[in-house]
Amino acid sequence: MTHQLLRRLLAPLVGIVVFLGAWELLVRTQHVRPFVLRAPSRIVHYLGQQAGDYTGAAWVTIQHAMIGTAFALLVALLIGSAMAASSFFEHAAQPVLTLLQVTPFVAYIASVVLWLGSGTKPAVFIVALVCMPAFTFATVDGMRGADPAARELLASVDATRWEVLWRLRLPSAMPSLFTTARYNVGLALIAAYLVEGGNFANEGLGAIGKRAAAFNKGDALWAAVFSMALLGTISLVLISVAQRLVMHWHVSQRRQLR
Amino acid sequence: MSRIVLRDLTKSFGELPVVDPLSLSVQAGEFVSIIGPSGCGKTTLVRVIAGLEPATSGDVEVDGAPPRHARANKRVAMVPQQPGLLPWRTVRANARLLLDVNRAANPTDAVAPEALLDEVGLSGFLDRFPHELSGGMQQRVALVRALALHAPLLVMDEPFAALDEITRAEMRVLLNRLVEGKHVTVLFVTHSIAEAVALSDRVLVSSPRPASIIADIAIDLHRPRPTDVEDHPRFVELCANVRHALHRGMAL
Ligand SMILES: Nc1ncnc2c1ncn2[C@@H]1O[C@H](COP(=O)(O)OP(=O)(O)O)[C@@H](O)[C@H]1O
Ligand SMILES: [Mg+2]
Repeated sequence: MTHQLLRRLLAPLVGIVVFLGAWELLVRTQHVRPFVLRAPSRIVHYLGQQAGDYTGAAWVTIQHAMIGTAFALLVALLIGSAMAASSFFEHAAQPVLTLLQVTPFVAYIASVVLWLGSGTKPAVFIVALVCMPAFTFATVDGMRGADPAARELLASVDATRWEVLWRLRLPSAMPSLFTTARYNVGLALIAAYLVEGGNFANEGLGAIGKRAAAFNKGDALWAAVFSMALLGTISLVLISVAQRLVMHWHVSQRRQLR
Repeated sequence: MSRIVLRDLTKSFGELPVVDPLSLSVQAGEFVSIIGPSGCGKTTLVRVIAGLEPATSGDVEVDGAPPRHARANKRVAMVPQQPGLLPWRTVRANARLLLDVNRAANPTDAVAPEALLDEVGLSGFLDRFPHELSGGMQQRVALVRALALHAPLLVMDEPFAALDEITRAEMRVLLNRLVEGKHVTVLFVTHSIAEAVALSDRVLVSSPRPASIIADIAIDLHRPRPTDVEDHPRFVELCANVRHALHRGMAL
């Protein structure tokens, strides 16, 4: 188990090192101009010099993304449970959720900032808003997929709705929620980044990126992009570990023939 | 005393009649099997008795009350065809599942699931998860989960149908051992003749859909049933009786 876990942590590292190596090689051998693409070594060097600024900003961004995701999950579980319980509610909520999902949130960042003010609030709000629909659909699917034999069994002893939700439906939604979490990580980080760039609070990687772009500071911009990628990767690894621990009973987590 | 009384029960799904007027009475402590061809309405009948599906017409009494009372008071313990174990619960926790919900209705004399798990040979697997068990072991957990309720009525819907022949034979012996002398009433649905005869005091033969009882065969093999009961000439004879009744039903 621990050996497997180590391998699981190691594999993404290997993937990243290979990717960065290829990137470095491309920039060096093809003499790509720095404003088109910078070599990772140069980005890392710059990041090293500005470490304080970037770790501070990354911490802000990760908080926005995480708190927003937590809210999204909470709301999704509530709405999703209601949708799984009532088909009327499901049909009523579905188009609204889809609408939320397909509207480019960049379009309403300014409005939300005007409404909620600068800083953490609009970032968390938009992250929660864009992550919520996918979590909701995952909740509904997972709950609907709960083992019918187990449902009958609980019904046969008059388990309350609550007990069925808690003992059967929620755990049944776990696999689809984890799958969605992987997809939502990227969305949450990008949403946090764009809102940070679109308000006046001047915190977070998004603010650094925005300023760098405005003043044509390539090193600063690439360092922000690089930090974002790093945050995304770390989050994905953490989700994998959590999934491994929480969902060890699920087929997806077992050793499989390839 | 009668545990189950059905009077002119019918059940249809829309236009489809699934149970024809059917009357039946099962005495406390009796082991009664219902045998019939696939799709004849056995599961539907069992679900009506367990209060999971309303009857279309007629009367259903379980313990002298409508099935919903029995259900609310946890007086009926079900063993479904699929074990229905929760994959995130250990064997021990799965065996407790029916005790963990609607606790207000738990009997004061509920049996500790661990003792029962020991009795069915699973004491070494208490902290394992369902995917680590064989099909037979999973079904034994499902059996314990039902027995732990200490309900006076045990309803089993083809619980061994998904198992291989060797394991099924083992399960018959095990089930006889578990319920004999325990004053529990069992309604057992099956499409296996040997299973019905080996386990039951009475075998009810159902016609093809819509289900109605076309033969009621008393199984006069003595109890406790010896483990080699299936070698006895009387066993073979009773199996033939059941088979003939089934064939007559198919020919109708
Ligand atoms: N919920 C339902 N809605 C409509 N038809 C059903 C339903 N449940 C069972 N049936 C039909 O009732 C018939 C008997 O089914 P079932 O009771 O499962 O048979 P058995 O258990 O004897 O194989 C089948 O034709 C099946 O299609
Ligand atoms: Mg059936």
